[in-house]
Amino acid sequence: MSKVEVAGPRERLEAVLALLQDTGMLQVEPSAVGFIETKDAAVIDSFLPDDASLKKRLFLEDLKARLDELLACLPHTKKRKRFILSQTLIESINESLRKNLLYCRNLCKKKEALTRELSDLARYRSFLDSIEPLLENIGRTPDLDYIGLTLQDPESVGALRKALVRLTDGNYELLTAAGDDGTIAGLIAVHKDISGDIKKTLSVQNIPELTFPESYQNMTFVQKIHSLRNRTSEINAEIEETDMRLDSFYAKWGELYTRAKEWVEESLSVLQATASVFETRMCFFIYGWMASENVLPLKTRLQQEFEGMVVLEEMEIREDDFARIPVVLKNPSYFRPFELFTRMLPLPKYTSYDPTPFIGIFFPLFFGMILGDAGYGCILILISLFLRLKFRGKTIAQDASRILFIASLYAVVFGVLYGEFFGGLGHTLAGLSPLIIDRKTAIMPMLYFAVSIGVVHVLLGSFLGFVTAWRKKTGTEALFKLISIAIILCILSLSASLFGLFPEMLKRPVILAILILTPFLLFTGGLLAPLELIKSIGNIISYARIMAIGLTSVLLAFVANRLAGMTGDIVLGAVVAGLLHLLNLIIGVFSPTIHSLRLHYVEFFSKFIEPGGRKFEPFRKEEKLS
Amino acid sequence: MELERAILALAAALAIGLSALATAWAQSKIGAAGAGTLAEKPELSATIIVLIAIPETMVILGFVVAAMILFGI
Repeated sequence: MSKVEVAGPRERLEAVLALLQDTGMLQVEPSAVGFIETKDAAVIDSFLPDDASLKKRLFLEDLKARLDELLACLPHTKKRKRFILSQTLIESINESLRKNLLYCRNLCKKKEALTRELSDLARYRSFLDSIEPLLENIGRTPDLDYIGLTLQDPESVGALRKALVRLTDGNYELLTAAGDDGTIAGLIAVHKDISGDIKKTLSVQNIPELTFPESYQNMTFVQKIHSLRNRTSEINAEIEETDMRLDSFYAKWGELYTRAKEWVEESLSVLQATASVFETRMCFFIYGWMASENVLPLKTRLQQEFEGMVVLEEMEIREDDFARIPVVLKNPSYFRPFELFTRMLPLPKYTSYDPTPFIGIFFPLFFGMILGDAGYGCILILISLFLRLKFRGKTIAQDASRILFIASLYAVVFGVLYGEFFGGLGHTLAGLSPLIIDRKTAIMPMLYFAVSIGVVHVLLGSFLGFVTAWRKKTGTEALFKLISIAIILCILSLSASLFGLFPEMLKRPVILAILILTPFLLFTGGLLAPLELIKSIGNIISYARIMAIGLTSVLLAFVANRLAGMTGDIVLGAVVAGLLHLLNLIIGVFSPTIHSLRLHYVEFFSKFIEPGGRKFEPFRKEEKLS
Repeated sequence: MELERAILALAAALAIGLSALATAWAQSKIGAAGAGTLAEKPELSATIIVLIAIPETMVILGFVVAAMILFGI
């Protein structure tokens, strides 16, 4: 990352910012800390926009608000850019927008009102659908009144009938029908003289009458129902017509206004960026950060575009800048998918290491060591290929499927080394035998192997921690890391001697070395240094999980085959084995992933990663973000 | 001899069983707190995974000790 300063005459500022936005290479630094020397602070101030800029900004903000309102009314379709816009064109768009916005606003309001009315009428729809067939069977005389009801509980129909008998002496007709939503639609036909009393009684008994909109008050029940039906059809037709008018408006203007909105947003972001600019009486200064390899191309571009009037200078990065330098993850294509795991934690500081390549090396290794089954590995390879095809263009899914593909390849390799293909199925069917080790029986050798991997991983992390401290010129910390590594190696040698793996005569010099190094450890790391050391030993032992979880996976696979064999039936056995292998496969994807990640995040990263990095966010057009 | 083997087996079972219980207890507490945290800040999911995974070291240590007891190291 390079620390840069762009300087030029004040009147070219807007053009320079537009170019910087177009190139998308520079992260503009709004703070002057670390960029402006104390002696220059008196003559360099924050940039104050002139009246013309302020006017332009207000104009663009107003235009953007109106474009937002208009585009919110229009149907969303995929945009195609066919327009090259300029300030003059934007001004004529502004003129046309006044009339068009009014037109669209009216259409939108109309559609909104119609939709609201339709939604109000929709609550009668279930009732109408159920009750309409019953109207054919009911007597239609001018003396009759009709009361519509919606009953939530089907059992309440009986109680309603009893109440009606009591109130009307049996002079009523009640028709019911089940609605689509599980309610019961009811229609009571009674003489007009007693209908008022019945309505009151129903209301007291919490059986509310279906109330119709106010405009339907003077209609008979049948008229109400027919009117509701007609109105619903009318509204649907009107909404359709409004949509057609909006569609045809979009076809004529939509793309132009969409592009205009983008143009306005870009211009506004240039104007807003002036808040991060500094100025003297004649010049402007833009400070920021950019990738070192982009410095020369941008310098040349500025030189060409502004004929030497605007210059880009690389500034010296000082020690107190380290905390401010933004960080960008940049890795070769093989490692790039693994950035997914790095981004799950806060970014490392600029002075720290990008751990992605280490994850790229060790994650598939751990995954393969834990799963270690050629059959499961092959299935996962197929799944990863399917995911790659299924989620084309989705970056995260593509990265995840690539990681799964690589990790599955390792699982196949380790499966061959362990002689496992769906547990012991490979051995039973094709005589597949372990090439190096049989995991089910060689528990202690596998444990040593897993812990040895842990030693390498943790010591590598500690060494990177030492290098980081050295680069930061914190000598005491670097020395502490180095002494810790030396003591861990001594403790491991001592343990190996005690278990008979190393010659016994090694014990004494190793103990002596530990005794000599301990005071230096306390001196460089403080009183908590021994605790840190014990933590590192614990971290190494934690790698035993590679063997432990792998053992559970292989045993479950063997149990699946054994149970299948015990059923004594080919079909049933295949089903049992299939289900158990499927379960093991699901566990076999999640468990190694979580544990491999944990070994990285907790055991490995804690040795050298300094979190708190600032993300590199260059000043660029919105479209380049996608 | 048989009694010695039985005691060794019991010791191994205790080593892994108690450490598994301790891990489970710790993970239940962290898991509950983590679920609450995720409801408010989903971006902390990686940190929560790490926090939940930390107590697992106990059961791994228990497993190693049990293996050492059983295999007479």
